[in-house]
Amino acid sequence: MKPSHSLLIIAVLLVLTACSSSPSSSPSGSSQTMPTTAVTQPTADQPAVDPNAPKQGGTLIFGTPQEPAILNTLLTTSSIEDAVTSLFVEGLVQVNDKGEYVPVLAEELPTVSEDGLVVTWKLRKGVRFSNGLEFTCEDVKFTMEGALSDLSQVSTSGYSSIETLECPDPYTVVATFSEVYAPYLRLFAYIVPHDAGPLDQMETWAYNQKPWGTGPFVLEEWVAGDHLTFVRNPYYREEGKPYLDKVIIRVLPSREVGIQLLGTGEIHALWDITEADLATIEQSAGQNVTYKATVTGENELLVLNFGNNDGSAPADPATNPHPILYDLRVRQAIQYAINKQMIADTLLYGKVKPGSTVLPAGPFACPQPASEYNPERAKALLEEAGWQVGADGIREKDGMRLSLKINSTSGNLLREQTEQVLAEMLKQVGIELTIENMPSDVFFAGGESDGIRDTGKFDIILYTTGPGLDPDSHLFSNYSSARIPTAENDWAGANFSRYINPDVDAWIDEAAIVMDQDVRKELYCKVATQINQDLPRIFLYERLSITAHRQEFHNLTISPSFVDFAWAAQDWWLDQ
Amino acid sequence: MTTYLLRRLLQAVLTLFVVSLILFGLISVTPGGFMTVYAEKSDMTAADLARIRANLGLDDPVPIRYVKWLGNLLKGDWGRSLTSKRPVLEEIGSRLPNTLLLMSLMLICTLLVAIPLGILSAIRQYSWLDNVLTTIAFAGQSLPVFWFGLLLIIVFSVLLRGPDGKPLLPGSGMYTLGEPFSLWDRIRHLILPVTMLTFVSAAEYMRYMRSAMLDVIHEDYIRTARAKGIQEWVVIYKHALRNAIIPLVTLLSLDLPSLFAGALFTETIFAWPGIGRLYFTAALKNDYPLVMAILTIYSALIILSNLLVDLIYAMLDPRIRLS
Repeated sequence: MKPSHSLLIIAVLLVLTACSSSPSSSPSGSSQTMPTTAVTQPTADQPAVDPNAPKQGGTLIFGTPQEPAILNTLLTTSSIEDAVTSLFVEGLVQVNDKGEYVPVLAEELPTVSEDGLVVTWKLRKGVRFSNGLEFTCEDVKFTMEGALSDLSQVSTSGYSSIETLECPDPYTVVATFSEVYAPYLRLFAYIVPHDAGPLDQMETWAYNQKPWGTGPFVLEEWVAGDHLTFVRNPYYREEGKPYLDKVIIRVLPSREVGIQLLGTGEIHALWDITEADLATIEQSAGQNVTYKATVTGENELLVLNFGNNDGSAPADPATNPHPILYDLRVRQAIQYAINKQMIADTLLYGKVKPGSTVLPAGPFACPQPASEYNPERAKALLEEAGWQVGADGIREKDGMRLSLKINSTSGNLLREQTEQVLAEMLKQVGIELTIENMPSDVFFAGGESDGIRDTGKFDIILYTTGPGLDPDSHLFSNYSSARIPTAENDWAGANFSRYINPDVDAWIDEAAIVMDQDVRKELYCKVATQINQDLPRIFLYERLSITAHRQEFHNLTISPSFVDFAWAAQDWWLDQ
Repeated sequence: MTTYLLRRLLQAVLTLFVVSLILFGLISVTPGGFMTVYAEKSDMTAADLARIRANLGLDDPVPIRYVKWLGNLLKGDWGRSLTSKRPVLEEIGSRLPNTLLLMSLMLICTLLVAIPLGILSAIRQYSWLDNVLTTIAFAGQSLPVFWFGLLLIIVFSVLLRGPDGKPLLPGSGMYTLGEPFSLWDRIRHLILPVTMLTFVSAAEYMRYMRSAMLDVIHEDYIRTARAKGIQEWVVIYKHALRNAIIPLVTLLSLDLPSLFAGALFTETIFAWPGIGRLYFTAALKNDYPLVMAILTIYSALIILSNLLVDLIYAMLDPRIRLS
């Protein structure tokens, strides 16, 4: 070989090494070395020998496959944003892990006047924001004005019913409602500090990207697309808390990557796992990985269309009914034909409960008997409804085949498997189910974009929904006849079934203006029972909120309200 | 020359205008729309939705929205992201250094690998070395990027462990979180993504280099140079390479805009916070001011780099006259 060529080859090799060499040792390979700035003052509830006692200090890394874009509670749009804000935002009340309202920035739950119109709060004294300013009634007033302001992106339901909100002294809030608003507690679940900025310039607030609050942590650094670092709020009111020095929210490209990083210990917890990931998580148990799961109150469910699927979107389906599904007997037959337990056991590894009620969890839970799996009964009902088995095993009536289409979001393996299992189950009783999925943007598109749900261009759709803590808004928008989306009402509402039951309407309306929570619970339970008789929806299984974490991460408790993964972040600690 | 330049610049502006018009049209017909996220919240009233839609500027018909967008752009206002409310240039600016770092390292490595290997492959045509290199180059061009990236992660971040039991190379992010700045840590995080990008793009450059070199090597002037008794390496590097490099300059100039646009797959697989991922999430959320800004800047860069190619050509090859 000529000298020139060997030179060339050496050069190439050098370059190759420079660009892709794998170093055999690494001086900084550990991701777990923690800063040694732990608070040293021992607290009373922290005896030195107890291994279960919380340890001070450490940096906790929380992985999430979604990235927050904005941290102003009045402008957030995604669930990860609500989750991350719970590290620093507190309200007068919050929901604990048992689904109960507990006072946070208030000394106790508010007193309510006899007529239900005047709500009086006593605020905790001496609470400070992380910028040192004291929290007072002025901040509560500002938050309400913020929610009602023009640029706000939160719902004004409830806030618009507040006639006046007064501060007789800095620690007393008196809210006077113009009409009774039963779920009034949720209106006080977050606080935006009054010095955040002028309301008519909310979009340009520095607070949006560099917020502060009364919660245990405060945002120190936000590297877009990569991570958010939270440090201790120096003014946090509980002595010795939070235990952790830092919480880092790390943005990950996907859940799969997150599960990997959990195994290698590069992250301590992973937000929002799906039920289908649980098997993988359990396989990683040897790597010190475990999970916390709680029911969310949401169901994976089927929405059955009472109206014609031709896009005429009638406000009353009786004027243009669905040729197959408007008949109650067909809807009953579909529920009898579905083996929900089998779906839960095989597709979800037995980790979930089959769905049976619109209100599975929370203070308004209304358990209902599980639906019966009985194909023979399904067949009998279909016969009774006039659907006779045709030549290919699919039933027919007056020349029409008993063929239905199911739509859902594409790219979700679990949903696709569920649809196939459903198609197989329905085929056993002579119903043909064809599957047509679409990207979630298209599936969830509104009526103005010709979305199938609003315009009623579907037979059956499969997705997840359910009430939050207070069922008021969910039951109203999903089951009240006032909430059938039509072009006339600007496609408002989520009663996609076009379900009309005057009793249900009346119970929902009454429950919204009664202050006695026991009476409300009774009314909502009537609604839940009636829904199971009328079957505008069939509940397949109860969704879980799951957070996977490493064993060294202690005191992670998730609340059923789904988004508040950091509702008690002050109690988190790391075993190092 | 000046008239040529002016004419080309005028054309560039017109092209950009048409491109932005088409882009805006395409974005506005994508189904879904930004309002979907609000409509999912059950307690939103119709009045709330109408107010939010008006605030986001989604009320107007598409042509009016375009005119407003263009008018603001001419005043230098690119608008604000619908999700983060930050000015879109600020959003882009926060990601740009990351993308520039990744992509420029990739281009440098590509050139350093592809040019020598391409030359070697050409002057040793049909040797075992040439066969091996050509096969690898073929593989590099045919491999699906995401598959290759995952393969690298599985091998270097999962299977292979360093002496401390930690993964040999980090498979995601730009640096180890919670640790002070360390240059070595940064370099370690760059190795896998840069390797992947370099492998794929060097394959393409090498094949161009090889065929350009082969064309030139059989030219008369090379034979003449050799006949004059000039040393072989001088013939290759001084006489042949200068002529063979021209197609590569074209390729390189056309690749320059990607320095800005980043690499969607690579950034997604390796959790690299660059423009590619910013664009992807913005597109998913129908955040049109952000999407429009990234696409418009990218289009402008492509048009400019095309102009640049033509100008460089005239410099490299005196036979070409611009008129």
